[in-house]
Amino acid sequence: MSATVVSRPGVSSRAQRREAIALVVPAMAPIIVFSVIPLMAGVYLGFTDATLRRNDVADFIGLDNFVRLMGDRFFWESFRIGLVWAVACSVLTLLCAMGLALLLNTDLRLKSLTRVLALIPWAMPPVVVAIMWRMIYSPTAGPLNAALEAVGLPAVNWLGDFSTALPAVIVVAVWSGMPQTTVLLLAGMQQVPTEQLEAAAVDGANAARRFWHVTLPALRPVVLASTALDFIWSFNSFGLVYVMTEGGPGGRTMLPMLFTYLEAFKNRNIGYASAMGDVLVIAVLLVLSVYLIQQFRKGKAER
Amino acid sequence: MNQRAWFVRPLQYLALVGYLFFLGFPLLWLVSASFKSSRELYSLNVTLLPVEWTFTNFADALERQNLIGSASNSFVVAITTMVLTVLVSMPAAYALARFKGRLRAVGTGWILLSQVFPTILLILPLFLILRTLQLNDTLFGLILVYVTFTMPFSLWMLQGYVSAIPRDLEEAGSMDGANRITVLRVIVFPLLLPGIIATAMFTFVAAWNEFFLALVLIQSPELSTLPLTLRNFIGVAGAVDLGPLAAGSVLATIPSLVVFAILQKKLTGGLLAGAVKG
Amino acid sequence: MKKRFVLAAAMAATAALALTACQQGSASGGGDNDNDGGGESGGGEEVVTLEFQSLSDQPLAMEAVQGIVDSWNADNPDIQVELVQAGWDGIYDKLITQFNGGTAPDIIHYEAGSIAPFAVDGYLADLTDLINPDFASDVSEGIWESVTVNDQIIAYPTTLQSYMVFANTDLLEAAGVEVPTGATMTWDELREIAQATTTDGQYGLGWGLSSPTATFMSLGLGFDGGYFEGSGSDVTIDVGEGELAVPEAIHQMAYEDLSLDPVSLTQSGSEVLPSWYAGETALTVQGSFRVASIGTDAPEGFNWTVLPPLEGSVSADQAANPQTYSVNIDSEHVEESAQFLDFFTSTENLAALAYADALVPASASARDALAEQTADENGWAAVLASGDSLVAPPFLTVDAYTQWKDTVATPAFQRFLADEIDSAQLQADLTDGWEQVNR
Repeated sequence: MSATVVSRPGVSSRAQRREAIALVVPAMAPIIVFSVIPLMAGVYLGFTDATLRRNDVADFIGLDNFVRLMGDRFFWESFRIGLVWAVACSVLTLLCAMGLALLLNTDLRLKSLTRVLALIPWAMPPVVVAIMWRMIYSPTAGPLNAALEAVGLPAVNWLGDFSTALPAVIVVAVWSGMPQTTVLLLAGMQQVPTEQLEAAAVDGANAARRFWHVTLPALRPVVLASTALDFIWSFNSFGLVYVMTEGGPGGRTMLPMLFTYLEAFKNRNIGYASAMGDVLVIAVLLVLSVYLIQQFRKGKAER
Repeated sequence: MNQRAWFVRPLQYLALVGYLFFLGFPLLWLVSASFKSSRELYSLNVTLLPVEWTFTNFADALERQNLIGSASNSFVVAITTMVLTVLVSMPAAYALARFKGRLRAVGTGWILLSQVFPTILLILPLFLILRTLQLNDTLFGLILVYVTFTMPFSLWMLQGYVSAIPRDLEEAGSMDGANRITVLRVIVFPLLLPGIIATAMFTFVAAWNEFFLALVLIQSPELSTLPLTLRNFIGVAGAVDLGPLAAGSVLATIPSLVVFAILQKKLTGGLLAGAVKG
Repeated sequence: MKKRFVLAAAMAATAALALTACQQGSASGGGDNDNDGGGESGGGEEVVTLEFQSLSDQPLAMEAVQGIVDSWNADNPDIQVELVQAGWDGIYDKLITQFNGGTAPDIIHYEAGSIAPFAVDGYLADLTDLINPDFASDVSEGIWESVTVNDQIIAYPTTLQSYMVFANTDLLEAAGVEVPTGATMTWDELREIAQATTTDGQYGLGWGLSSPTATFMSLGLGFDGGYFEGSGSDVTIDVGEGELAVPEAIHQMAYEDLSLDPVSLTQSGSEVLPSWYAGETALTVQGSFRVASIGTDAPEGFNWTVLPPLEGSVSADQAANPQTYSVNIDSEHVEESAQFLDFFTSTENLAALAYADALVPASASARDALAEQTADENGWAAVLASGDSLVAPPFLTVDAYTQWKDTVATPAFQRFLADEIDSAQLQADLTDGWEQVNR
């Protein structure tokens, strides 16, 4: 049923195209000026030896940057950390947010309080989030360790210990990313036609089955879009981590974007850094396309 | 309706309280810190509430930094960005969702590319373009950039919400002889409202919190946005003025809370259920 | 067919636009400072306006800077200085875009270690012949070196900090330790005091070393541990006994003597202070600027002092990394900017600035003036005395230093301080990493 657009009889495909273009044009103008051009310039720089020197003249050097990048083990190590971080963040955020959205979509008391509370972390600048959590994680003066010690457990040096640093920052990322995903899912749940849920209930489906067979399929586009973007953003973000750990301890939280930033701005080799950016784009798109294609297929199969 | 096991309710509440604690506790800690004296913040004595309540942090935050001015700049920027982004991306998202084909492929490709490519590498070309247009160091320039940078997200989310609306509903409408615009306004828009609200909230917050672009694009202190001002509590070598920063952050959260309170009612109102049935 | 062509043309146009934009940015700096106001050269009557981007953000320091600017503007109607307040956080990124975009201000406040790359890249005016000779001779050779890049002085050095040992005198007394009074203190003495003040379950020393590289680069100089040989891109690294002396001494205190709290090694300086204030540790190593805030942050009745500067096997030298005031090479008013900076760094002004930020003034005369002013305040005498042994560290003019520091040195030092690797491995990691970075 979903082969083409609302196939009204008598409407030619040319008229449709014109309509589509008219709808898209207002969005196109700012995108071309402020996004496509800088993006093209950025992608292109990866093939040059551009630096940030005064009056720098960038030469086209083909694939040299990429060849050099292949042997850069620090980059690939940070790439690995980035993957772990991004997958963990997006999956955990989705799970936590789904649970919360389901709770908020019921008739529990307290839910309006939760709904407001759930939004606050979202409205906080990342730097404040980072500093606030540094206080919580403080090994000497933090409430978390105080609570552990109160029940007789040993104190943990959350951000300083090699094994807990990455999980600790992931928790913070989930804390600050969950509200947004929750809101998106909640909005999606509101769209699920109540007739379908009621029909399923009449058929004797319990809550879990209703969720699995009615709500979840209807939510698929939203889940898909928000997880994919969550993955990209986590992969791309470094502000939160930079304030919390500066990539430490011992490089355990050195995210690829932090690495690229250092090369671009601190080392001022913007050409080489852009090559890193190009490689990251390709890598992330590969990972994503596997996910997206698989999900699209599933979606089609279920229809 | 259907019978449910006796333990479901209590479990639901348990989960809800768990969420409440996880989400709320750090905030509580921040609010408490904003009322603690610097002496208390520098003590090993871990208490949930201040031993001695002080308002000097708030006075300090308000006096030392242009908190009010930058909050109103942020508010103007965030609201304008929100309205513009939603207005511009709604039609485009509809087109993306409904007209399959090359447009969709190109659109999706660009959305992904623009999100994946490191922002840091776009800053310099972007800065040069804005300077050429004489838009650097203006709030308007900042707004245009924010609109552009939040658009991929709102396009993608909105097209997701549009796709979730069964096409038969639209077809039924057009069979009744209503024209395209009417179909969109009467059938699609109400169904889409929660999605639009969610997207609007996102763009508001994204513009409200953005630091890096504002840092490099805004020069004049009187145009400074809130994240820039809050960062000024972090001094040389990352030394933080905890008390005033906490106080400033608490104050800075209030405006967005107001916006949220207004929008979130619309997000999940009873109004929608009616619309679906109608 | 036709579509292909359109697409190709669009791509070409895009690339061309982007490229011109890039070139424009680097080339047009000179003629483009139109927001400098009154930039039209010509008649001598013209009022020159200098844009001055200051980072001083503490209330006292902001007041001091504003005061200096106001009195200059009152005395010099022809050269007006316009103060633009910025913050320390993110300033590096801001300067990168300002310089590359041709919108950098005339006068730029920063610090030697971070401004050097901008000088290397050619963005800063050579001030060698513009600096007032009185000020030139008033500042030590070592400090001048820290603002010299490719034989050009690229900034006025103003205020500095050093690392000092702060001690809780009550705990020292309780442990039967006499407060050392010499001009300097050896590392062995520090070790002994830390051991003596270590009691059951309480460490003698807390040291916030979550970002250890800067500290090691600085204190290493006392053991002749400079790490680098050469400057620019032609640099070799040498990690030997001198370089490893400080990390090893700290490692020893933490894991053999058990007199240094290993948790503190993963914290920042200010995060370690609460334990010191609470009397859990007797000693803490901090930046000298802490003398100003201890008064307000420590509990009442807290008795403390600053111990003599640490001396290595060779000297008590530490790295000079002064705050700096530079002039944009594309400014139309380099000379006027230098005139203002001469005034800005006069003895009286420098002493006021240094006092506001609790830092050591670069000039000897300002140090003397400040010593007189702070005679009654705890700790200041030792802080000011440390100003004599600040010298330029070799890393300042090393091109890939920051990259090595952030991706190689800091992680390696952190692993060593966490007792995950031994010093031979540390040495190997630092050296191999340098080669990897400079491939």
